Amino acid sequence: MTGRPEFSAQTLSVLAALCAEPSAWQHGYAIARDTGLKSGTLYPILIRLADRGLMEARWEDEQPAGRPRRHLYRLTPEGLASATAALAYAPPPVKAQARAGLSPRRRLSTQA
Amino acid sequence: MSELTRPMTALLRRSAALVPAGHREWAEAIWAEVAEVPAGWQRLGWLAGGVRLTVREAARGHRPWYPLAFVAAVAATAWSAWSGPPGDSAVEINRIDVIAIAVILAGLAWIIRRARGPVADARLARVVRTGGYAAVLALVLAKSAVERVADAPPNNLSGPAVAWTGEAVFLVVMASYAAVILAFTARHSPALPATMAVGTVTGIALGVMAYLLGPLGFPLRFAGPWPARTYDAAMALGALLALCAPVMAGRAAARRAGRSRPAGAGAGAGAGARQGAMAGLCSGTAAALAVAVLSTATIAILPYDTRLQHWAGGHIGQWTPVVGQVTPILHPRLGYVAGNSAFAAGYLIVLLLGPLAGSAFGAWGARVRPGSRRPQATRPWPAMKRLLVRGKPAT
Repeated sequence: MTGRPEFSAQTLSVLAALCAEPSAWQHGYAIARDTGLKSGTLYPILIRLADRGLMEARWEDEQPAGRPRRHLYRLTPEGLASATAALAYAPPPVKAQARAGLSPRRRLSTQA
Repeated sequence: MSELTRPMTALLRRSAALVPAGHREWAEAIWAEVAEVPAGWQRLGWLAGGVRLTVREAARGHRPWYPLAFVAAVAATAWSAWSGPPGDSAVEINRIDVIAIAVILAGLAWIIRRARGPVADARLARVVRTGGYAAVLALVLAKSAVERVADAPPNNLSGPAVAWTGEAVFLVVMASYAAVILAFTARHSPALPATMAVGTVTGIALGVMAYLLGPLGFPLRFAGPWPARTYDAAMALGALLALCAPVMAGRAAARRAGRSRPAGAGAGAGAGARQGAMAGLCSGTAAALAVAVLSTATIAILPYDTRLQHWAGGHIGQWTPVVGQVTPILHPRLGYVAGNSAFAAGYLIVLLLGPLAGSAFGAWGARVRPGSRRPQATRPWPAMKRLLVRGKPAT
């Protein structure tokens, strides 16, 4: 990673949400809740991250009772490195939130 | 609110099938989490975002839109061309026309997809293919509107046999046009993108110019000496451009092919000549199609537009005698009488000869050595023969 990665503010917020617990698998609505992004904005970002090999996705292994299986996401090692580098260049709020391991919404609520 | 969210949920689930297989799971993922989202506006927003994603991904895959648009355009053309009294040979011809064109366009797309692959993954190829198909259908639509009256009694002076012969030739010509459009815009196109671009742009410009110089297929007539001289000069310039533009397009395509050839690759002249011939073919095809569509559409609306009739009466030389002879009986149809003869005798010939002349001029232009006034080889036929037999550049 030699140069500054090109990510939009929304993508950075998604990366920050995924960076909060890099080893844990997260589902789309949880990320949407954390970032405040609508599904129509969030999922194109997730698709791009997956297409670029920065994020991996899988379906829940077992069929839970009363709801469909969720699609789960987490950063790949390359994605984690890119996200860390990108968040290091990011504006202070996102940077601070990444260090603290907080998503933007959580950070805002902490500030409030 | 549930009245809105329930159909949206169903729409999202059904529309996921339209998304290309590689990305379908993302639409299914949004659907799988609907129950997690609090009911009300928030859930509706989640669903709307999901539908937006499926539309975007489906459009990116180009799976449903082009076939759907084609079916809709053919249906609209058929609906327009179908009407007319039973037993009228003109109406029968129009109906055969629409069915045959739909079969030709769909069948050739299927055949050429197998031979040369699907449409190239480039905006230019998609625009040219969509525009070419739209132009063919528009021509069929305008032609049916003209012939509905022109080939109907008592205007069908030449008889139905001539009309059916003209129809057969028209269908063969349209099939050739569709084959050229499909082959040149396919993934394994014999033409380089630059060849198609320069040929198509040149051809459309030529077609529009020809239309402006004679919107109804006849030379215009002007009363004053200055307008008449200006028009004569414009006609002379137009004729010169019509000859030079395919030559220049062929030359530009050949030079571009030479630049894009890897260093050390041989047989550059042959490949350049082929690209030149193909640029000329694109140019002639686009020009003929453009002028035929525009002029036939103008002829079709002529009987319904009094201002256009008035203008035509004052500017078309051959118009006045026809008006004098048939106005008392056939005033509403006089546009069709003139228009049909122009179409049959003029635009079908233009459609036939345009691509042939374009490819010959383009091949000749490709042989002109840059910086030299004399052509390297004066016979375009070897390049054209190679193009017709093999149809693929050496590069």
